Amino acid sequence: MLIEARRLSYTYMPGTPFQVRALQNINLTVQKGEFVGIIGETGSGKSTLVQHFNGLLKPTEGELLINGKNVWTEGTGLRQLRSRIALLFQFPEHQLFEETVFKDIAFGPRNLGLKNGEVEKSVRYSMELMGLNYSSYKDRSPFSLSGGEKRRAAMAGIMAMDPEVIILDEPAAGMDPLGRRQFMETISMLHREENLTVILVTHNMEEVSRLADRLFVLSQGKMVLEGTPSVVFNSPATIKESGLEMPPLTYLLTRMRECGKKVRTDIFNVEEAGEEILRLYGEVHR
Amino acid sequence: MSMRSITLGHYLPGESVLHRLDPRVKLVALLILIVALFLIKSFTGFLFYGLFISAIFIASGLPWRYFLRGLKPVLYIIIFTLILHFLFTKGGQVYWRWGMLTIEEAGVAMGSFMTLRLALLVVTTLMITLTTSPISFADGIEYWLRPFRRLGVPGHEIAMMMTIALRFIPTLMEESDKIRKAQMARGADFETGNIFRRARNLVPLLVPLFVSAFRRADELAVAMEARCYQGGEGRTKMRELHTGMVDYIGIVTVGAVLAGIVLSGI
Repeated sequence: MLIEARRLSYTYMPGTPFQVRALQNINLTVQKGEFVGIIGETGSGKSTLVQHFNGLLKPTEGELLINGKNVWTEGTGLRQLRSRIALLFQFPEHQLFEETVFKDIAFGPRNLGLKNGEVEKSVRYSMELMGLNYSSYKDRSPFSLSGGEKRRAAMAGIMAMDPEVIILDEPAAGMDPLGRRQFMETISMLHREENLTVILVTHNMEEVSRLADRLFVLSQGKMVLEGTPSVVFNSPATIKESGLEMPPLTYLLTRMRECGKKVRTDIFNVEEAGEEILRLYGEVHR
Repeated sequence: MSMRSITLGHYLPGESVLHRLDPRVKLVALLILIVALFLIKSFTGFLFYGLFISAIFIASGLPWRYFLRGLKPVLYIIIFTLILHFLFTKGGQVYWRWGMLTIEEAGVAMGSFMTLRLALLVVTTLMITLTTSPISFADGIEYWLRPFRRLGVPGHEIAMMMTIALRFIPTLMEESDKIRKAQMARGADFETGNIFRRARNLVPLLVPLFVSAFRRADELAVAMEARCYQGGEGRTKMRELHTGMVDYIGIVTVGAVLAGIVLSGI
């Protein structure tokens, strides 16, 4: 599954005094099996952009191609598209509506036309994946769950559709640190082992720099930077202008570099950075 | 259902004379103009009224395209009225006949008259709502309800409820848009099928919408209590209403229009 945007622009409420140009001339491609991050400050157009990827918004100008086909003129239908490219909105627990957790998670698979047995299998699988015990949670009302459990039930509802691409819009906003780490580890595991394509929209620079293969930086509806995390965070001036911050590790390593320590600055996970710093001290001690 | 529909009849911030008028004055002026409109007896009267309204429209600085778009929803009612009168008001010369159906002189006259009145009524009202923010509107209503407090009419509470209701319309619209998209991303179908099927398909949209409306109401109540809100008693306003020269000129002008219509009998 290859997602490609060509000169894509989007305007909210065109032709009224309230019109807002949310996206301007965006070009990007996401390859099958990639893990990409989309970052930018609030109101930069991130959410608007990802809603184009599964046909929830129609570009005002330009086009969006999936596997080389324009979604709006030659695609195989939007419903089919949405089953393969899943989108998890911010605060997904607000979309729960059924009487039981099972029925709610089964909503997606049933819309795909799966048989009862297959529905049960996919619900069970996605609940366990999200850390909800199948037998103890399936008959509870989704409204009786705690905040964190609701979030996981809503996520299971998306995962149960067995998508090829998953778009996560600030998935961990308001989650506790442990829940957040568990969720991101699950996603990262699915990416590595099931070759799930992941598009992550986030404010968390540490997380996205560690997990994503490539990053897109949006600012005021325009794409200002793109590339691997080390390329993107090598332009601190543009990052700052876009209202973002460097990941803490990059900041630390850059500061050390400025103080004359010879460390690499393109490291994005704590273990590797630790080794790098120890190596430095090892040299000093030797 | 989209974001687009919320803007119709929606307040448009601006700096014109009409925007700056005291909302209390605007409410009275609107009332006078509506009375005047219903006292008009002839097409000549409508012509003068129309010229007056056009002058105000120009002064308001509203973009006419946006204004016309706001009229669209009422267009169907106007056309319906016109057709009813054309077909069912009888009298005078017969212009057109098709089986049982006839269009007669009285019908055309009455139809055009009623349609014009209705159209002018909507135009006048829309001009006021487009230039008055919901908050100042509620302030104006609160002021005029004040005399009825002795009769037990809770003026402040009514105004507060109106403000809150108006304030939450766009929020709920946005919310429903978001939930609709979220369910569509799960393969929900809101566009096809017969009417029963469609109604049933709305459940995944309506349940979360109600849940969120109640959640918001609860949060708002807590937030208001946390700031010691206790109703109108002894409450001062951040924006005091002031009646200035423009307001007096406005009210005199509108009064003159009414007097002119009554005295000339047009």
